[in-house]
Amino acid sequence: MFSEPDVRQLVTAVLAELLAEDKAAPSAAVAPDAVLVEDGQVPDVTAVSTKDEFHVPNPANREAYLDVKQKTVARLGVWRAGPRYNTWSMLHFRADHATAQDAVFSDVDDAYVQAQGFVAGQTVCQSKDEFLTRPDLGRRLNDETKERFARELPRGAKVTLMVGDGLSSSAQVNVPDLLPAIKQGLAGLGISLGPVPYVKYCRVGAMDELGALIDSEVVCLLIGERPGLATGESMSAYMAYRPDPDKPESWRTVVSNIYSGGTGPAEAGAHIATLLKRILDEKVSGVGLVL
Amino acid sequence: MADRLVSVGIDVGTTTTQVVFSHIMVEDLSSGFTVPRIEIVDKRIVYRGQIHFTPLLDDDAIDLAGVARIVEREYAQAGVAKDQLDTGAVVITGQTARRRNASEVLHHLSDYAGDFVVAVAGPRQEAVIAGRGAGADVYSKVHGSTAGNYDIGGGTSNFALFDQGRLAAASCLDIGGRLVQVDPATRRITAVVDKTARLAQFVGLDLAVGQPADLARLERLAEAMADLLAMSLGLLPKSAFYPQILTEPGRDVVLPRPLKNLSFSGGVADHVYAPPDGGDPFRYGDIGVLLGQAVRRSPALAQVHRFAAAETIRATVVGAGSHTVELSGSTIEYDADQLPLKSLPILKLSVAETANGALTAEAIQNKLDWFQVDGQRPAVAIAFAGPRSPSFAQAQDLAAGLLAGARDLLAAGHPLVVITENDLAKILGQSIRSRLPGRSGLVCVDAVRVEEGDYVDIGTPTAQGRVLPVVVKTLLFA
Repeated sequence: MFSEPDVRQLVTAVLAELLAEDKAAPSAAVAPDAVLVEDGQVPDVTAVSTKDEFHVPNPANREAYLDVKQKTVARLGVWRAGPRYNTWSMLHFRADHATAQDAVFSDVDDAYVQAQGFVAGQTVCQSKDEFLTRPDLGRRLNDETKERFARELPRGAKVTLMVGDGLSSSAQVNVPDLLPAIKQGLAGLGISLGPVPYVKYCRVGAMDELGALIDSEVVCLLIGERPGLATGESMSAYMAYRPDPDKPESWRTVVSNIYSGGTGPAEAGAHIATLLKRILDEKVSGVGLVL
Repeated sequence: MADRLVSVGIDVGTTTTQVVFSHIMVEDLSSGFTVPRIEIVDKRIVYRGQIHFTPLLDDDAIDLAGVARIVEREYAQAGVAKDQLDTGAVVITGQTARRRNASEVLHHLSDYAGDFVVAVAGPRQEAVIAGRGAGADVYSKVHGSTAGNYDIGGGTSNFALFDQGRLAAASCLDIGGRLVQVDPATRRITAVVDKTARLAQFVGLDLAVGQPADLARLERLAEAMADLLAMSLGLLPKSAFYPQILTEPGRDVVLPRPLKNLSFSGGVADHVYAPPDGGDPFRYGDIGVLLGQAVRRSPALAQVHRFAAAETIRATVVGAGSHTVELSGSTIEYDADQLPLKSLPILKLSVAETANGALTAEAIQNKLDWFQVDGQRPAVAIAFAGPRSPSFAQAQDLAAGLLAGARDLLAAGHPLVVITENDLAKILGQSIRSRLPGRSGLVCVDAVRVEEGDYVDIGTPTAQGRVLPVVVKTLLFA
């Protein structure tokens, strides 16, 4: 074992050595005019899907491995340098993580909310930070919103479609295909829809408060999912019969993984329409709805 | 919650007729937090019938009444009533498929066997059914490799190749154990099929009906047959005679990938896997035992790793009973009153032809005329791959194109039947429905791959109405 003074002495010696090297460095530096500037671009590591990237050298059965990879977004067969990731894996991982971070921390554009013709509202959260740190506040609509929703949304609707940002703003990319698909499906079943409320800083529980507020028989909330490393665009549809803040989580039916790489938004919307009809007919949702 | 489909398989082969019953277990494998994903999770054979000689009336006709009696006895033995059956297939294979009343027998039997039992025929489909019954598809999937199966029956040898569980090739040769018949008592040759006589001649053997069955000579013929099997797999250079042995002229075996593993099924297969037992080689009244032993000894065929087939003599009937039905995708759109649909020919559209609604309409209109018979428009199923994750607008456009293209079909009173490969049947179906005139029927399913020239049967809903059983089959009788 080293004693503490020994360690201190050792560290000091090493640091001194490093500093000496640093001072010596400029003499070895390349002259500015020798710097080569290329017009090319650094390749985008995310341009190739992790499903198609395969780095195992000399695999016993490449085809079988690639076949397995097509079934999952897990990072299989990325190989390694000693115990660590290769540069490609590291960059891809960080790029995917950045996508997830962006999805969580960016805001949904107000112009988009307007263009979609949503009735805009907000929970009692005042900022993104508050939204992320106080899940309880993300379930409660602010007073102004309650007033507006009570005024502008029909009372006692059979089905109310609601949109929220949730933990991924990027997930809104699904809405232009998801929403009309649900509407078309419901129209085919004889159910029409009123205006669509939009809630900023929205957690799933906010649908309960909205449902109780406007006495909607069924509420379906389309909300961004907490992103993982596979995609930042995944959306969920939560459905509840006569939602109420006093009802348990198990009262909700959910269809998750809605995005172009999971269940496509248009196909998911068509499915959700038939689920909503069943919830209406059977007057039950969540685990009580035997699928 | 698992659902159970009760299925029957009936194989009327060159030599034998067999019946099996199986249970096909169907379950939703989704987590419950996503859209449903209903799949076949298990197939169990619950009854294996006896192996009967196929009853024949004379040289060229099948004894329909005799076959029906066998089937009836097996149903009674198994304790299965026809109305309990959800699916199943009757297949007429080998030489029997070429008898003059084969088509009639097949369709009579499939009606007789139960409402949802389909008729299947065609040398390549036989190969696929036998290959699945022998477990070659599963072997290739489990080993991440290619696996072929040669089903050597009485009249034909049917080859199917699977690559990682997927069908890669299928073909058929006129080689079988019963092409030369020998009377076990008199030990004289009682029948030689023409093509086999020509093969004998080609390899320099004198072979004729009435001759005493000379063991060495017939062994030499069996070896020539085994050589042809090896030639078909590229293990021997092809002889001048080889093209003649193909059941369908010009339909040679094509191996898109190298054959790594090989199994044998059919009545002859037991003699491929087991060493000679010292019994009379002519005890079955044919050269089946000799053919099996010749395949077993063949150095050319031994170059490929040989694995044990899951089924040998029963591979085809098990394949017919357990492996012909598949399930549609789990998010689909249909009118239950249109089902079941039987033997619909496929109108296949390419990716380019379905690039947009207008092109789709045009392609359907052009191709619909191909199916016209005596000015009549028969029902067809329109099939294409379809876009992955289509936009809502794309689905609307496609729906409009399909309806415009199928106008004459609907006017003739047929339902609109659409089959796609990618997951879009629900949105496409609802989009069609929102535009569908009057009371026209609609069946729109996905996750099914069909080709031009295929026929499709679509059964009644299962798994609480979420999926439809589908049987894809090749040409019935040309």
